[in-house]
Amino acid sequence: MRLRLAAALGATVLVVLALGSDHLSGADGLLVASTLTGALLTGGLAVQPLLVLGRRRIGEHRVLGTGLVALAAGHVGALFLLAPDDALFAMSPDGPTRARMALIAIVALLLAAALAAVGPRTRWDRRTWRLVHAYLGLVVVVLGVGHAVLTDGALEGVGTPLLLGLGALGAAGIVAAVGRDALNRR
Amino acid sequence: MERSARPWVLIGALALMTVGIAVLLLGSEGSGTGAENVGDDGTAVLTAPAPDRPIPTRERDADASNATTSSPRPSCKATDSNPGGDNNYIPDAPRASSLGRGFVIEGFVRAAAGCEPLPGVRVQVWLATATGTEQDNRASVLTDDEGRYRLPTSATVAQFGEPNIHVAYDGDAYEQVFIRRVVDLDDRRAVVNLTLRER
Repeated sequence: MRLRLAAALGATVLVVLALGSDHLSGADGLLVASTLTGALLTGGLAVQPLLVLGRRRIGEHRVLGTGLVALAAGHVGALFLLAPDDALFAMSPDGPTRARMALIAIVALLLAAALAAVGPRTRWDRRTWRLVHAYLGLVVVVLGVGHAVLTDGALEGVGTPLLLGLGALGAAGIVAAVGRDALNRR
Repeated sequence: MERSARPWVLIGALALMTVGIAVLLLGSEGSGTGAENVGDDGTAVLTAPAPDRPIPTRERDADASNATTSSPRPSCKATDSNPGGDNNYIPDAPRASSLGRGFVIEGFVRAAAGCEPLPGVRVQVWLATATGTEQDNRASVLTDDEGRYRLPTSATVAQFGEPNIHVAYDGDAYEQVFIRRVVDLDDRRAVVNLTLRER
């Protein structure tokens, strides 16, 4: 509970930092939208694995997962509307490393969501399913936060350690969930 | 019926995916293909780039003493456009001598054949600053007798995650070139030289 509150608080601070940054002062509404969706996405990624630790809140985990996909779509959509040339370039094979990290993270997020959607119908056993889902989640957290840290913008400075902290919390939550599964099988 | 993947198969598959992701990331350039950092603090004196192939002394002396002596002309490697160079490009940027204060974009323009400076060439520059985005913060400048152009601008800001500048030759006499380069936020100058190939 405390960890979830800490993650939610971290996401709120990220949003406040972004709104107060010079980078967004007088900026296009689309840039503001893409930054805020990115900040919320980072906070949500930290909370998400914590929902299935301890008392398993599968329903909330699914709702937040759907929300994360919507936030990612909003983040990318706002960037496309803001500067289509830059967005297409960023997603091309010639794009910068930080953009490639984001692209891989989004693919992993969609795969994790698709796996969650078809989960009960897959022929994998529960352990395999959860391990692959957790792996994809870890890719999303590591590369998504890496993308945010390498991006110059509203979340620089104080925002960087906060991003890294939220990323560490999300990654630790995933590792803990996988570890708990392994212990429960013994 | 649920099927249990053999642990080593699953671990192998995930390890392979991890290696694939690492290869994808390591195969990219930090700021995008060909986007080298050309920023500096602006204190160094800007000098014209030297020809790629120095003219042999004997040929140069012969040229000086006898204009009719034929010697191979020096050649310089033409500047190639890099991916993303024409992002947010809009033709016919208005002529302007300044887009603000705090940063300067400058360089020399020369011909690939002969390496001679090209005076009177129109160069287009665009970038994101505090006063405008790449779409509306743009200008054209002409090179002087030494083939040099210079455009003061406001300080750069990050555009799509990193401060970057665009310089283009979009005229008809030479092949068009569209350049995208990056700078640091605390830089005061970007130097972009263009070597143009005749059509």
